[in-house]
Amino acid sequence: MKYLYLVFVMMAAVYTSAHNHTMHDMESYNHEGHLHDTMVDGKLLEVNPKRFDNFIVDLEGKQVAVVSVSGMVCDFCARGIEKTFSKNQSILKLDVDLSGGKVLLAFDRDAIIDFEDIKKKILSNGQNATDLQIIKI
Amino acid sequence: MLQSNEMQNSTYYHYSPTYKFSLGVEQVKDKYFDVNYSYFRLTYLLNRKNTKHSQRNLYLQSGLSSEGLDHYFYGVHGDWETRRLFSGFGYKETQTEKLDYAEQYLQLGIAPYIGEYGDLHTWLMIQSKHNELMGDWNTYPVLKFFKGNALMEVGYADTSEWDIHFMYRF
Repeated sequence: MKYLYLVFVMMAAVYTSAHNHTMHDMESYNHEGHLHDTMVDGKLLEVNPKRFDNFIVDLEGKQVAVVSVSGMVCDFCARGIEKTFSKNQSILKLDVDLSGGKVLLAFDRDAIIDFEDIKKKILSNGQNATDLQIIKI
Repeated sequence: MLQSNEMQNSTYYHYSPTYKFSLGVEQVKDKYFDVNYSYFRLTYLLNRKNTKHSQRNLYLQSGLSSEGLDHYFYGVHGDWETRRLFSGFGYKETQTEKLDYAEQYLQLGIAPYIGEYGDLHTWLMIQSKHNELMGDWNTYPVLKFFKGNALMEVGYADTSEWDIHFMYRF
């Protein structure tokens, strides 16, 4: 009986999740002409458009570092990245874009963004920072 | 980390000074031998490969019991995962004053949906486990959930009953 119950819960999880995922996909294609379409150094930002647009809502006049991270495949593993950067006073806001493999860091417009320091912090959590794009908002 | 299965109930507190290794103490209520003891544990990341869409890990693990130098374990466990797929394995050899035994497990999992950061994440998994003291391989479904800093795995098999694992990261 317990076994049947577990199978039932698993089936319900699959159904609910598949439905939610479809909704996410639909929403993410509704954004055109926003900053996430910007070319930086000849490369298009590969970010989750909805997540990026939400992130920059209150960042007028600031700059955002979009850090590409390899090995950031799960939410639980990425928690350490948030913890590490949240200790840094010069970072105004932080978000993790798992689908794009990006960490978004907001700084004041005049702040100096040190990619080597970012790389070290990401590595201390066991992942690798591979690229940095800076967007002026 | 809390764990409960047919062999033991345990609570494991560990600290990772770097991502390469962790040190900790595991308090064990051993159901098979009906004794309580602690393990002083060391886990070391032997190899990690990060790619844009995957991560692969190989760990060494060891523990020395509070019962004395005749009681310890060592082993290896590894995993490979993407945001959609998961596979893992483990091998552990335990030496005690009374008996020596080995345990192995294999895990395969699929995420039915790809959640974003902060969402509830779900994995549907199949686990196959073998403990020399318990007999044959035992294969059963496992549900894995995590949200924020909390992770929970719940498995159930007719023969070995519940297999529960809870972890919270501070």
